[in-house]
Amino acid sequence: MSNVAYLKRLFQAYYKEKGKEIPIVSLFDKREFGFIPWDKQFVMKRHISFSNFDSLAKYIINEGPRHIYSSGTIYLQPDNTDMNNKEYQGCDLIFDIDVDHFYTPCKNDHDIWYCIECGNTGTGMVKKCPKCKKLKLKQLTWICDKCLKIAKKELMKLIYNFLIPDFGIPLNQMKLAFSGHRGYHLKIENAEVRTLSGEERREIAAYVSGNNISLEILGLRKLNNVIYGLLRENIGWSQKIINKIDKILHNYTDDKIRRLLITFGLKADAIRSFLNSKDDFLQSISQNDNNIWNIEGFGLKTWSTFLEGIISMIGTEIDEPVSIDIHRLIRYPGSLHGKTGFKVQELYPDDLDNFNPLNEWNEKLDPIVFESKKKITQKIEIIEAKIPATKIKGETFGPYTQGEKIEVPHHIAVFLLCKGVAKTI
Amino acid sequence: MSDIYDIIKKYPWLPSLKDYYSEIALKDPSEFISEAFSEQFGNELKERILELFYAAFDNLEEISEYKTDSLNIYTYFLLKILLYALDNQMITNRVANLYSKITYNKLIKEKNHSTIYDICQNLGLRIKYYNPPVNYGKIIIKDQHQNLVTNFMVHFIDYLKLTSNLRDEYRKLVHNSLSEGFVFIRNKRLIRLIQEYVRSKLLIKETDDKASLNVFLEKVSKIKEFKEIFDKILTVWTERKEEFEYVFKIDFEDKEDIITLYPPCVKEILRKTQEGQNLIHNERLFIVWFLLALDYPVEKVVDLFSTLPDFDREKTFYQVNFAKKKHYTPYKCLTLKSLNLCMAVSYKDELCLTGYGAEEPSERKKLAHPLAYTQIKQYRMTKWKNYMIKGSEKEDE
Repeated sequence: MSNVAYLKRLFQAYYKEKGKEIPIVSLFDKREFGFIPWDKQFVMKRHISFSNFDSLAKYIINEGPRHIYSSGTIYLQPDNTDMNNKEYQGCDLIFDIDVDHFYTPCKNDHDIWYCIECGNTGTGMVKKCPKCKKLKLKQLTWICDKCLKIAKKELMKLIYNFLIPDFGIPLNQMKLAFSGHRGYHLKIENAEVRTLSGEERREIAAYVSGNNISLEILGLRKLNNVIYGLLRENIGWSQKIINKIDKILHNYTDDKIRRLLITFGLKADAIRSFLNSKDDFLQSISQNDNNIWNIEGFGLKTWSTFLEGIISMIGTEIDEPVSIDIHRLIRYPGSLHGKTGFKVQELYPDDLDNFNPLNEWNEKLDPIVFESKKKITQKIEIIEAKIPATKIKGETFGPYTQGEKIEVPHHIAVFLLCKGVAKTI
Repeated sequence: MSDIYDIIKKYPWLPSLKDYYSEIALKDPSEFISEAFSEQFGNELKERILELFYAAFDNLEEISEYKTDSLNIYTYFLLKILLYALDNQMITNRVANLYSKITYNKLIKEKNHSTIYDICQNLGLRIKYYNPPVNYGKIIIKDQHQNLVTNFMVHFIDYLKLTSNLRDEYRKLVHNSLSEGFVFIRNKRLIRLIQEYVRSKLLIKETDDKASLNVFLEKVSKIKEFKEIFDKILTVWTERKEEFEYVFKIDFEDKEDIITLYPPCVKEILRKTQEGQNLIHNERLFIVWFLLALDYPVEKVVDLFSTLPDFDREKTFYQVNFAKKKHYTPYKCLTLKSLNLCMAVSYKDELCLTGYGAEEPSERKKLAHPLAYTQIKQYRMTKWKNYMIKGSEKEDE
């Protein structure tokens, strides 16, 4: 049986057995649904709506789609194929945190790229081939505990550093989900938030990410060769920045600060100078009546580089276009992710702290739905040149190379088949 | 707290007008006009209306001794009716601009902050009012310390909606103090946002339903006083419209209409100037720097601004000339995006969205600067022309 036929049947069986456990999103009948099937790759069937959950359940059991999406948008006519005639009624505010979009150090271990032009290959996050500088790259992105932990941390930052304290959004209006692959989704369901336009959403996205902050407006300026910095007293981003600097200077060792400043792009002289003056600097930011920042060799440009580095630590790594788009479809909670076979797991904020998608102890929250209790194994053949090691449920499988025939637990086989790096034998 | 009737008299654009002055507000427009002019104050109403329009045409920013008695409500209604009847975006923009500035000046003079609070409540804004004011920060420059204090905090959703037409950097949420869903907003800034609300209330779009407009005009033209005012405004406008309706057109050496070579961010600003819409500071800077970078004559750049509601030729000439001497570089695409001035998506511009160079999408270069857009377009056009010339030469052979 082909991979596609096998996986489709597997997904159908899952939906038949567990369909009733899939949550029903609010205003269900006013959402647009989209499906990506197995057979016609990457062509999304959209502009579909269901008047009740049973019809959706029937549909997904029949079709066993590879991916299931529903709109954050509320329409009076969600199935109208003309966007202008759907009768837009508002849209939930969606945040997508996906490690595909930002750097994590572990990508150097598990993300593989191949240059189609020159045949060069390597690991990590690259936009173009370092050798021939061409953009035609084939990328194999992988998952691991570390990057999913970073994604979770970003989600928690978003909730506890921005949405609750700054925007006053109560936890019960936030719907969270593990995306089933490399990240998390957060949806704010609130009637007023739904009225925001794309441009207004852009403002919120910019706020939580810290993108395009004007340091000058926050107070950084040079007058008569004196640098005036930010004040902790100024509620908002100034305060966040000063608090973060304070925390770093109190808790980091010199070596850790040095390494951090290197990642910010500061030169060796500046780093040395910063470390020499850090106690005085700490004292000056602790005062409310003094904002003269005086570190030898630090001009406006160096201060900006330093502060931009701090901002990037505070801001949340969200995929901004998702938050701005008022017609976006996102993965339906409880559905299966066709690239992993994992469940899009709905979560409550209280679950987040202990949630570990690749090795979750709480069965109700476990996205690895194809783990066989009877320890069934399956034989598959690796068809990708090289695939990194995969650690799921505490056990590591691989790395593997093309042609290897392996016998692995069912959920690992499903994962590798969904990833398109193996075939059934 | 102030008497709501008095507040509405002073600020008739408030939503509660319909509740408190329903006998005026819910009347059929032609009935309202007939009755208003049959009253003793008919003549004064006429004078006030004309004064407003003339002041708008003269680019005034204030009318001295603007009265806020009960006649103010009639003035506001008649103003709205006239703007609909005139159906001219340039007139509407100018009048809305002036009226909102008059409102700002009135609001700023309000000694009692609770009136501002009442107005915000009436507008349905979620607002927190502090008396005494609260401190939310400080500005220290050299030896000068200034505490940031305010009487007001406005809910972030209302804040975003009120600021959606303002695009200056200071109003961005990220540059403001936000706590538990509310933005600390200085009194003056809040009043500026109310001004923007008033402006938008008067910005009646030119109607697509010309048939209904004509029926309406026919009906109200029978009222002598209305016709008189309407005709007077139109006469003055016709006499003076050339001052405002300067058509922006620049020719290349080969008489090419250069506008086709402009990126959508520039086209959008030019569209606004042609409609007499107000431009924000960054739009003004960008268009001046962009045109000057293309070696545009200073006088022609100044002419471009002549349609703007607050145009002052002398001041504009000085500023454009200054920019010319300084050789400022126009904003790059990244900056335009951060200032919300990038129009690539709205205009679905292929060059902006997909870049240039190789045919293969993944290898195309991204456009980084609006000037590069014009250069590329010009290059393509020249290439196309050469190709066409060669083609016709071949045909001749």
